[in-house]
Amino acid sequence: MHNTNKCSYTRKMEQALALPELIALGDRVAPVLLAHERTLPVAEELTELFVEGGLVRGRILTCTGLAATSLALALIAPVVAAGSWLGVVDLPTFGLDAASEFGLPLERVVAVNGAGGSDSDDRWANLWPDVMAAAIDGFDVLLARVPAGVSPSAVRKVATRVQRRGAVVVLLGDLGPATCDGVLHTEPAGWTGVGDGHGHLQQRSVVVQASGRRMPGRCRRELMLPA
Amino acid sequence: MTDKPTRFVPPRIVTVWFPDWPVTAAGFNPDTPAAVMSADRVVARTPAAATEGVVVGQRRRQAQRRCPNIELVDHDPDRAAREFEPIVRAVAELSPRFDVIEPGWISLAALGPSRYFGGDLPLAQKLLAGVVPDEAAGRVATTQPGIGIADGRFASSVAARLSVRRGAPVMVEPGESPAFCAELSIGWLQTLGESDPELVELFTRLGLRRLGDLAALPAPDVIGRFGHPGVHAHRLASGVDIRPPSTTDPAPERRLDQVLDDPAAQSGAVVFTAKQLADELAASLGADGRVCTRLVVLLETEHGERSERSWYRSAGLSAPAMVERVRWQLDAWINLPKGSDQELTGGISLIRLTPDEVRSDDGSQLGLWGGQSAADRQAARAIARLTTLTSESAVTVPVWRGGRLPADRYQWVPAMMVDLDGRARAVSRAGTGSGPSGPWPGALPSPSPATVFADPYPIELFDEHGQAVSVSGRGVISAPPTSLRLLTGDASSGWRPGSPRPIVAWAGPWPVEERWWEPGSHRRLARFQLVTDDHNGYLVIAEKQRWWISARYD
Repeated sequence: MHNTNKCSYTRKMEQALALPELIALGDRVAPVLLAHERTLPVAEELTELFVEGGLVRGRILTCTGLAATSLALALIAPVVAAGSWLGVVDLPTFGLDAASEFGLPLERVVAVNGAGGSDSDDRWANLWPDVMAAAIDGFDVLLARVPAGVSPSAVRKVATRVQRRGAVVVLLGDLGPATCDGVLHTEPAGWTGVGDGHGHLQQRSVVVQASGRRMPGRCRRELMLPA
Repeated sequence: MTDKPTRFVPPRIVTVWFPDWPVTAAGFNPDTPAAVMSADRVVARTPAAATEGVVVGQRRRQAQRRCPNIELVDHDPDRAAREFEPIVRAVAELSPRFDVIEPGWISLAALGPSRYFGGDLPLAQKLLAGVVPDEAAGRVATTQPGIGIADGRFASSVAARLSVRRGAPVMVEPGESPAFCAELSIGWLQTLGESDPELVELFTRLGLRRLGDLAALPAPDVIGRFGHPGVHAHRLASGVDIRPPSTTDPAPERRLDQVLDDPAAQSGAVVFTAKQLADELAASLGADGRVCTRLVVLLETEHGERSERSWYRSAGLSAPAMVERVRWQLDAWINLPKGSDQELTGGISLIRLTPDEVRSDDGSQLGLWGGQSAADRQAARAIARLTTLTSESAVTVPVWRGGRLPADRYQWVPAMMVDLDGRARAVSRAGTGSGPSGPWPGALPSPSPATVFADPYPIELFDEHGQAVSVSGRGVISAPPTSLRLLTGDASSGWRPGSPRPIVAWAGPWPVEERWWEPGSHRRLARFQLVTDDHNGYLVIAEKQRWWISARYD
């Protein structure tokens, strides 16, 4: 009695569910972990830049152009807001006010800076791979600059570590020997809000061009920074 | 509680409690509705806000709904500690031995002073007269403090809070503390931070609504059912506010001090030394399974001025918490008005940390949800690793300081010196901090520059005739700037001008005059925003007839 009841119920279910829904269900329960499933969320207006719809763990990106820092902040702010820590390596100019305006919680920001002075440049270049390795182990998101004089092998080691640990690294400034999985180039088209002696800077429209090894399609997108 | 022939009578304690101290320290008048927020919750509010229905623990939005014209500022423990210093000094006039539990809350042993001033009531009046702030520091209106006298710290703290409502000191006669406690609601354990909210809720659900109900339970049953936190609560409820008998006062050799042969004039150096001492102290106590609940911090300068404070925390002081207390104390000392007693005139030559009261470390139960996440622990380990790789001063975290120039607004503090658990409050700022009602009127409007130069770059500005642009003392610009030229090199070898860039848009000047009352750190400057023809936005300052790029909007 009980069994037959259940059978008829299942049959009804099958009739009720259309084929597209079944396919969607099949996709959802598939046990394969694809690259786009290892993504971290990004702001809505930036999702189109990524084929995977978000920042893929284990990749190194770089932001270039005139709005590079703002774009990097806009990219990583939602990830840090979701509970990750941000390591800022060798970026003493990091604008904390701007970061907090992008919604980045400053209580999870840790900065590591190389000592100033020209004689310590070499020392910092030697130390940089170790510092990066420790930071990659500890923080999910890194914002970093590559110092001059780093060897290509050290950079490769860092890249392997990023992949294994599943961190996201955004490089700014001169890349040196480093290679990136994706390049986000920004071309601003002027500020609004400021005139000839009046107003103040408010917003600017920025054209972002995504390219690089892991970013097929050369996607262009125009967005406002700050949004 | 069953009658026992001999009972330990806890020492008689006077507690002075300023209701909602953080909001008083933030400089609000009791008649203006205002509240101090921490992690989106109200931690203190003015009486005016309280009458509108704003309560502690409320969310920002709820508070704004109750009282739309409320002013909200962020909690700043350093500010609260600094503003409390005059009151601490006023109490020190009356009694040499007292504990600052937190800014706004002092307790002292009543026995000696009470005998000297002729009884508990005269002592209470003396204290009240001494700490009413207009006498102590020339501050205008604050709320009246509450004063409670009772056996034991807990009963006396409750009495102080009740005294605020009654408007007169509350006195619990000697030996009456158990009876006084028995009538109190169980919620006081949570209000005073002695027990977790979860434990108090459990007591309530079990029908223990008054402290007397809890005290009536046999102690062995309490320890069997609730463990150490329960025994602590039971002991307080019974009015027997004593330290567990397993602890003894630390031997004098526990006292750690450091004589600085080269007196430290920078507060950072002092705090670094204090950190080493605190680490050593916490480690040596921890090795015995004990934790320090009362710490006496003594600082002495090369000229012999001293600052001695005793800090109390019932949950125990970890090494970072000790360092934070040293930082508060030092900060308050540095910011003393000129000409006051024991004013700081030289570098610090002696730092001494004395654990005055220790108890066995029962451990603390972390929440199943909330509290520290795995990412937080991982980050803490990474910070330690990075610090050993580089140096303590190279690994830093931001702390909100406030200011009108982007480079001034946050301070990078070595990460090893900061209590990473309570980070949210140290970096947050009220709202955007830039509005006219924010705490920094005259700060730049948002968006803020993403790249801030600690050392500004020198530039030259020209008008359309190629003349250098200048700003007059009244903040008037000589002519609209049309081009800028970056200068490279340094002052010693001479500046080399780069090629000029046309300016397509500009705004300003926004003049700033900071610290005009102090000749040493007086600054007078004007700020501009410039956009060059390649769409670069710059924040430029004019100071002493020179131009600098202080930040870039990139």
